[in-house]
Amino acid sequence: MVSGLIYLGVACSKDDSPEIEPEVLFRVPPNFPKPVYDFSKNPLTKEGVELGKILFFDGNLSRDGTISCAECHSQPSAFTHHGHDLSHGIDNKIGIRNSMPIQNMAFQKEFFWDGGVFDLDLFSIAPIENPVEMDEKLGNVLEKLRKQEKYTTLFQKAYGSKEITTERFLKALSQFMLTLVSANSLYDKYVRKEAGGILSSEELEGLAIFKQKCASCHSGELFTDLSYRNNGLPVYNKEDTGRQRITAIQTDSYKFKVPSLRNVAMTAPYMHDGRFYSLDAVLNHYTDGVIESKTLDGLLMNNETPGIALTKDEKAKLIAFLKTLTDEEFLKNKKFGI
Amino acid sequence: MKNFSYLLIALFASIIVVSCQKEDDINPNDKNTVILEFDNRVGDQKLVLGTTTAKNSLNEDFTVTRLNYFVSNIALKNENGEVVKFPNQYFLVRQSDPNSLLIKLDNVPAGNYNEVSYMIGVDSLKSVSDVSQRTGVLDPASYGDDFMYWSWNSGYIFFKMEGKSSAIPPNMMNMTEYAFHVGGFGGMTGKTINNLRTITLPMANTAQVRRDVSPQIHVIHDVSKVFNGVNQISIAKTYMVHSPDAGIPIGQNYAKSFIVDHVHNEKD
Repeated sequence: MVSGLIYLGVACSKDDSPEIEPEVLFRVPPNFPKPVYDFSKNPLTKEGVELGKILFFDGNLSRDGTISCAECHSQPSAFTHHGHDLSHGIDNKIGIRNSMPIQNMAFQKEFFWDGGVFDLDLFSIAPIENPVEMDEKLGNVLEKLRKQEKYTTLFQKAYGSKEITTERFLKALSQFMLTLVSANSLYDKYVRKEAGGILSSEELEGLAIFKQKCASCHSGELFTDLSYRNNGLPVYNKEDTGRQRITAIQTDSYKFKVPSLRNVAMTAPYMHDGRFYSLDAVLNHYTDGVIESKTLDGLLMNNETPGIALTKDEKAKLIAFLKTLTDEEFLKNKKFGI
Repeated sequence: MKNFSYLLIALFASIIVVSCQKEDDINPNDKNTVILEFDNRVGDQKLVLGTTTAKNSLNEDFTVTRLNYFVSNIALKNENGEVVKFPNQYFLVRQSDPNSLLIKLDNVPAGNYNEVSYMIGVDSLKSVSDVSQRTGVLDPASYGDDFMYWSWNSGYIFFKMEGKSSAIPPNMMNMTEYAFHVGGFGGMTGKTINNLRTITLPMANTAQVRRDVSPQIHVIHDVSKVFNGVNQISIAKTYMVHSPDAGIPIGQNYAKSFIVDHVHNEKD
């Protein structure tokens, strides 16, 4: 008891020492827009983020204990599912969509390829309850956690009491996901004029082409305008009408979210259904594969033929530029793993 | 003696008059509870889940195995046109849970109420609220297998009716189940389908809330009208409804499937 008190005393004086700066859990990168997420409803704490991370990596969130969030959102692939065009979930079932990267979540106003979820705190329910992903019921997950002392302790640390509620569970997952900010690519260092931020002439030419031919949709520092567009993909799955499934508006048929291009070199395969396995295939689609339809985006109809005109040389330069969006610090940051 | 009996009669009469006056005297400071009873029926039959069989107006047979709906934004209007609202109270009526069929409204001011209204569903404000506001029947973790929340298209399922019908064309799984899940609050970041329906029902005999009277309003919900309240629904053609737009005709139907049958005003 006495030694315990002494230990506490030491720990306290250590915490009070002015030299130790508190760890910054979330910071808006100087070149980024304002976050959309309302942090006042869920202030990040070290313990909350830690709890969220442990939950993120826990298979107990799925029906049979085999599928964690990290299964389809793995860090080296910018928290997406590398090597699978459609996400593989429980019992090896296959979904209809390619899993999206989890990065810069604080800056998104809607989630999923169709934007069906408008609040990050409600986001995690979808994969947990999706029959082809984790196929579990949220209530069962909470029951499983309540039975584990590990979790009652972690919830106590994060929230001050052992109670495991829907709000606490979902907000802890949000806390961890909010810390997944990718903003330290070579490109970022270049735009922020930081040390080492030098792009090669090929990359710079690629950036210029990008600004001219891609940035009207992949705009700003998030490399997406967060809109939903039909980019002229041949329809492989008629049932998946994208944004139209949410809005029920015919003119939204086959429109999908313009994805961010941050870490794009690491997030193959591409498109909502993962049909393209390389960036070359993506660019070939834009030059040669765009199909006309009622809802094809107007920006892809500028020329006589639909699509974007790019020479072979321009494509190579574009890809060189896109690779500068890879953020090694983010992909390798040990803080994000267990 | 004669005089005495007159006196007695007069005395009795005055007691009656006094007591009657007392009853009609509405003291606005008096409060009591009002119970809304939801009596789900199939036409003129008792609804027993999985058992009662009926036919819709297209002569298609059906049973009901599940029936759930949210009731919220209840309001009572009195004879003077004044409205008493019960905000931020959400109820989930489940036919399988007899307790859920009785909705209790507390602290209702004394008065004679001749109209009740309520919403089937969860209003848009609550539907976009922070997860901290989603407790009790609004807790997405509270539904088990009988879910009342769409995770892929964030929002509550306002009304859910499932059952069997031999009208359903046989498929590979040999299933004969229909499922009507209706939701859609109008959207948060973009406009989407709005299936929120407010139901206003007059009460022929008033609900008379007094210090010692807590009325019970007996609402009858005829589920057979879910198939033809406004729109004729053929189970053979429409048996899987799982999205807001597909749910529109059903929502319009159930909006017309409730009546107030009678009100009990017995003393406590």
